[in-house]
Formats: sequence, structure tokens, C-alpha cells
Amino acid sequence: MFLPVFIYVIIVYYWPMLGIRYSFYDYTLKKIEFVGLKHFEKMFSDKEFWKAFTNTLVLSITKLLITTLASVIVSVFINEMANLFAKKVLQTVIYLPHFMSWTVTAAIFTLFLSTSSTGFINETLKSWGWITESIDFMHETDLWRPVYYLVNIWKETGWGTVIFLATLAGINPELYEAADIDGATRLQRIWYVTVPELANTIIIVLILNLAKVLNLFESVFVMYNNRVFEVSDVISTYIYRKTFMTAIPNYGYTTAVGLFKSLVGCVLVLLCNQASKKVRGRGIL
Amino acid sequence: MKKKLLAVLLSSAMVASLAACGSSTPADTSADTDAAATESTEATTEAAAEETTEAAAEETTEEAAAYELTDLYITVDGTLTANVDNGQDAFVEQWEAAVSEKLGHEIKLHINQPEHSGYKDNVAQLLTTGAPGDGQYPDALIMSATMFKQYQTTGILWNMADAYDNAEFQSRITLPIINENMKTDAGELYGFAPTYGNGCVTYIKQSWLDAAGLKVEDIKTFDDYYNMLKAFTKDGQTGVIAAGFGKMDEAPYINYMPEFWQGAYPAIYQKDGQWVDGFQEQATIDALNRLAQGYADGVIDKDTEEASTKTAREKWFSNDQTTSEGVFTYWAGTWLRTLTDNLDKNEVDTELGDDRLVQLPPIQEIKDTWGGYINREAPVWVITDDGDGDNSREQAIFDALLETMLDGDKVQTLWTYGAEDVHWSTHAEEFTTNPDDPDKKKDYSYAEGEFHLKQSPNDPNSVWKKNHLDPVLVIAPLTNGFIDNDPLIEEGNKFFTENCVDAPQSPSSETLTVVEADLVVDKTTLMNEVVAGKKTAEDAIAEYQAEWGDTITEILAELNAQ
Repeated sequence: MFLPVFIYVIIVYYWPMLGIRYSFYDYTLKKIEFVGLKHFEKMFSDKEFWKAFTNTLVLSITKLLITTLASVIVSVFINEMANLFAKKVLQTVIYLPHFMSWTVTAAIFTLFLSTSSTGFINETLKSWGWITESIDFMHETDLWRPVYYLVNIWKETGWGTVIFLATLAGINPELYEAADIDGATRLQRIWYVTVPELANTIIIVLILNLAKVLNLFESVFVMYNNRVFEVSDVISTYIYRKTFMTAIPNYGYTTAVGLFKSLVGCVLVLLCNQASKKVRGRGIL
Repeated sequence: MKKKLLAVLLSSAMVASLAACGSSTPADTSADTDAAATESTEATTEAAAEETTEAAAEETTEEAAAYELTDLYITVDGTLTANVDNGQDAFVEQWEAAVSEKLGHEIKLHINQPEHSGYKDNVAQLLTTGAPGDGQYPDALIMSATMFKQYQTTGILWNMADAYDNAEFQSRITLPIINENMKTDAGELYGFAPTYGNGCVTYIKQSWLDAAGLKVEDIKTFDDYYNMLKAFTKDGQTGVIAAGFGKMDEAPYINYMPEFWQGAYPAIYQKDGQWVDGFQEQATIDALNRLAQGYADGVIDKDTEEASTKTAREKWFSNDQTTSEGVFTYWAGTWLRTLTDNLDKNEVDTELGDDRLVQLPPIQEIKDTWGGYINREAPVWVITDDGDGDNSREQAIFDALLETMLDGDKVQTLWTYGAEDVHWSTHAEEFTTNPDDPDKKKDYSYAEGEFHLKQSPNDPNSVWKKNHLDPVLVIAPLTNGFIDNDPLIEEGNKFFTENCVDAPQSPSSETLTVVEADLVVDKTTLMNEVVAGKKTAEDAIAEYQAEWGDTITEILAELNAQ
């Protein structure tokens, strides 16, 4: 059995990786030429690249923290619900957005937040007299990130609760009984029993997701636009633009950016592995 | 232990593969292709310069005869309307039969038709990663004028000057100037335009004019136009919509909002014999200010910034006219019919029939600057050069595809109207569109031998219009007498022809090709920011000059030295 698996791994996982050599080549129309570290020099001196790199970290980490926090809060809330039917209905409703594609999600929110007469939010706010001029949620650099986080919370919070609800279901009921005997209020039970029991899971979820922070593309790509590049362009969209939206792309350059992203990703995975070993006694690799 | 062994093996395999692959193959390929490209260019240049037309004709005929093209791979955009949902199979089948008969051997046509809005990106990917004969790489493809100028200097396009000069269709060309103008100073021709470019005109909904108590004859200046937009803008309705305030990535850039742009041209163009950057000119600053004012006043639909052409036009002819717009500048001729039909389909202004739309003559400010609506540079067909220094493959592609495309008869009819008995017919028949709707129901009846268009394959409630070649724009008309004389289309074409001027020639420079995508992004961003009131036009242009000034100077120097 060893040989077929070995061949499979070589062909499917390792053979495509040979493409990384092109990061040391100029790869354009009718020209494949070795250029050494030229692309890396260009990349590190390109302020657009650094902007994308910074945006990736800011968007990804903030999104991770906010959605995790939202998932924890919602999980605790669901866990406290006494009515089983309502609990199930709520769980199903909040899971649903996760199964919508990012394209559909972005289309819905763009329509909702539009400044034209079809924009539900702006028209509603105007009709209530709260605003006189439409707010350009999707094109204002100050507003784009909050909108992005909000959409992410809407889409991913429900799915994020799965693992926390499983943990909550496993908490020893005796702990709650002991808290009751000690006269704890509902909030105190949550704070002194539920949250400490969840802490380990929260840390694990954060660590596991931290390794993936550079993999940010689809959600940004479907929501960003020229006017908010400053705060929204991430490494993957930067690579996409330089590869697919250029008349004569240089695949060498974008491969170099991709390689850099992968290397940073590897370092993050190793760091998370170390963190995981410390927190739960075993690594993620 | 097994795990460790596997890890060592995998690592070794990886290192060995990398070492093997990194040895020199790409560099060698590069050398080969460079040499081949140089040889090819030199050979064709010499040929063009030294050989007589007669000798070239003999040579090309011999070359074509020596090479038997059995599979033709073409990449086309949405202008081939006989797409996979609209009878493309029949088109291909009839094309193969007709061309095989002409060539005397079997030939198969393979059409790759990427999504229209992503065409440019798709082509870039195909041409960069593919190679002739790999089953994906196009032997020939359509390019817009902007794309064509970007690729013209790369060496991947075949110089078809000799083939074009010796083509059989030369004797029937009525508009030779279109392709002659595309030749380089050295007489090389890298693209072939079977039609002239066409352009956009401004359409106004008659019912909106009536409701505002306006007449199109009274809209003569920008102030008149702007007041009309203001009159249209109320209760959720807006004056005008377009696919972007300007289309910075495709010449002629300004044709979707010409009244606002007027004499501006936000790109590199030739002025008094010198290449200049129109984006830095005062005319562009003025145009951006007009657009910003229009946006602030709400007469320009807020969806304009992000709208694709499809989104803009669908909103314009939507059945919900309460959030629609009164004005839309779009393609002339056939599109007048298409827009009218779509309004009809959505039951908008049914009582007005074919008089739903009026075409606005160019306003005074356009007449005083450009002289009229802009007739864009024609899209072209190009043939890819495999770089082997031998023209036989390329000549065979020309003969099979482009020579037959304008044969005046069977094949040209396929490209013009589509497949026989699928898109058009000469057999007696009767059909009815919208048979279930008494208001829209229309009967059609044709006698045997009478040329007519049939119902659209994917929409039996509308009549097919045309395929790839617009019969009115084509440079060598059909000789078989097949003509669909829709009076509305004729009226649209006549109006445009009477009110248009040729667009400035697009620049072709190596530096521009390299930076153009980034330049387009920055120009679009600055334009959008100005229009949205985030910065002044003056600040935007100053920012542009600071970022791009040196590069633009370099590009202009390159162009002016040509």
C-alpha cells in the first residue's frame, strides 16, 4: 500500500509545488528567463504589497477575534435557553448564512447598503429622518472594514458556535449544581463556570485559525472596490490583480508573492503548533 | 520509523525534482523562443520590405498549400452571439462543412468563448501559459483596439500584411482605410478588422421626455442636457446611468458619458502630431468636475460607479421604471433595436412601439470639440505566431478563418446572421412571437426564397438579430443579397454615421503595456474619488502626476520617438 500512496502524494501534492521555481524567473509572453531574486526585491520595495500584507493581517486577525467572540456569546446564549424548540430553531437560522456563497452574500449586502434608490438601509434611514444624504457604506474607507466585519459576523458566527456548543454540552453539570448551592446568580454561573470551561476551546480555536490568517481572498474580493483598496486590498487580491487583471502578466512576480505568503503561512503554522503544544499538551501537526 | 522514512523519501523527491527542473529548461526555452521570434520578425520584416506583392502571393500560397490545417482553435468574446445557448453547434457544423468544401480538406472549428466581461484577463492567461497546439492556445482570437495595441509589440501576433494584401476579398472591400490605418510604419499588419468600429449614442426614453414636457430638439447644449437630467431625477428615478463614469481600461474611454466628458480624453492620445497624456489636461479636470456635480446633484445614478454594462442596461430597461433612469448612452445601430425590444419585453411604454427611444444628437460642446460621437477603433482578429519562422501555419489559419469570413457568400452569412434554418432561413414559414400575450403578439410570414431571420434559439418570443459581423458595419458586404432591413436598425446606423467622428488612435508602447493595468486602476480610483466628492479634480491630477509623472514622460518619449 505504501507505493500507491507515495506516488499519489508526489503527483498531487509535491509535483505542482515545482511551480515555485518560477518565482525566480521572468515568466511572461514568450519569455521564461532566470532573474534570481529580482521579483523579491521588487515585491519588498512595492508599497502596494506592504499595504496588502498589513491589510491581510489587520482584516484577518480582527475578523478572527470578532467572530470568535460573537460565536462564544451566541453559544452561551443558546446554551442558556430553556425552550428546546426555540433553541433548535435559532441554531438552524444562524447556521444558514454559512452555506451561502460569498458572491451571493456580497450581492445581498451591496444591494442593501447601496446609495441608489434601491438601497434598503439608506432609504429606511432617510425615511426615519436619521440621515438626509445616503451613506456610501461600501466605498468609504472609514466604513468598509466595519461593514466587512459585520458581514463576516452575520455569515460565520452561527457556524462558529458548533464547536463551542459541543464543549458546553460536555461541561460537568455538577459544577453548575455546586455554583447553585453556593448561591451563584445566572450571570455568575456563566462567568465562573461556563467561561472558564470554554477558555481552553477558545484558545484552541484561535490558535488553529491563526495559522490560516493569510488565506483571505473570496470574502474581500467580492466586497472591495477601487476606492477602498487602501484598507481592503489583501495579499491574495493583490496577487489576483497582478496575475489576471494585467494585459501582459508576469507570472514570475506573482509566484514570488505567493511563495512569500506561503512561507509566512508556514511560520505561522509552526508558531501555532508550538502554542498548541503549550496550551493543550500536543501540537496541531 | 515508517513516518520518518516517508518524510525522507518525500523530501528527497522534492529536492531532486526541484534540482532537475531548475536545471535550465526554461532558460533554454527562452533562448529558443527569443531566437525564433527574432528570426521570425526579421524574416517577415525583410519579406515585407524586399519582396514584391506577386512573389509574396506565390510564397504564401505555397506555404498554405504545404500546411494542412485540420483543427482551428479560436477564442472569441460575447460578440459572437451564436453562443452555446444560441445555436453555436449548428454554426460550427455549417462552418466546418462550408470551409472544408472551400479548402478541399476536413477542418474542425473549436470555439472558446469566455465570459465577455472577463475576456481580456482570460486571453492574457491563455497566451501566457499556453503554447500553439496544446488544445487551448488560440490560433486566432478577437481583440479590442486597446488589447490589440498592448499585444502588438509582444511578438506573439503574426504579421498578416501579405496575406491581407493578397486576400481574395480585397476586390470587394468598400472600406479599405480601416485596415490600412492599422498597418505600422513598416507596413506590418498584426490585426484584421472585418468591420468598422461603431460607437455609442445617447438614448432618451420618449415617455420621460413627454412627462417632463421636453422635446429632444430642445436639448442642444450641456445646460439643456443637465436640466433634462434634473427634470428626470425625482421620486427614486434618476437622470442617467452608465457602466462607470468613464471606462479607463478600454478606448475610447469616454463613450458612455460623452456629454459630461465633452472634449476630454483621459488617456494618452495624439494631438497635433504629438502624443500627450489627456488625463493631465484641463479638459479632464473640467469633465471630472461636471461628473462630480452630477453625482452630488443626484442626476447620475449612484449605481454607475460599480455597474457593469449588463447591470446598467438591465436597470435601464427594467420593468420597474420607478427606480430607473431616463437616459442611457449605448451602442448605435443594432442596439437601438435590442434596447427597444427589451423595453417591450418588460412592458415599458408599450403604446409607443418602436418610438420608445429617441436618439440625442451630439450636444454643442461635443460638436465644438470632437465634432460628434466617437467611432471607436475597430475590434480586430489576430493570428498567433508560433515563432518557428515559417508562415505556413499562420497563412493556413488566415485562409481558413479570415479569408472565408468575408467570402461574400456562405461563410460570411454564417458570421453575419448565424446558421441556416437555425438563425435564418429562405424557406417559406410562419411564426408568432409572444403568442399568449394579445398586446405583444406578432405574426411573421415569409414566402419561399425570402431571406428572413428566425426566432432566437433561446427565446422564441424574440427574433434573432445578427451573429458576429454587423451587416451594416462590415468592410466587404455580402454578395448573396441576404439582408435584414429592420428600419429601426437602419435608422440607428444612419443616425450614428451622420453624427460620428473617428476615435483617436490608441498608443502602442512597451512601457505602457507593462504599466497599463496599474495605471488604469489608479486613474479609475482617482476619477471615482473625485466624482464622489472625496477630493478635488485638481488634487487628483496632482496626485496622479506625482505617482505617474515620470513613467508617463517615459512613455510619451517612447511614442514620440516612433
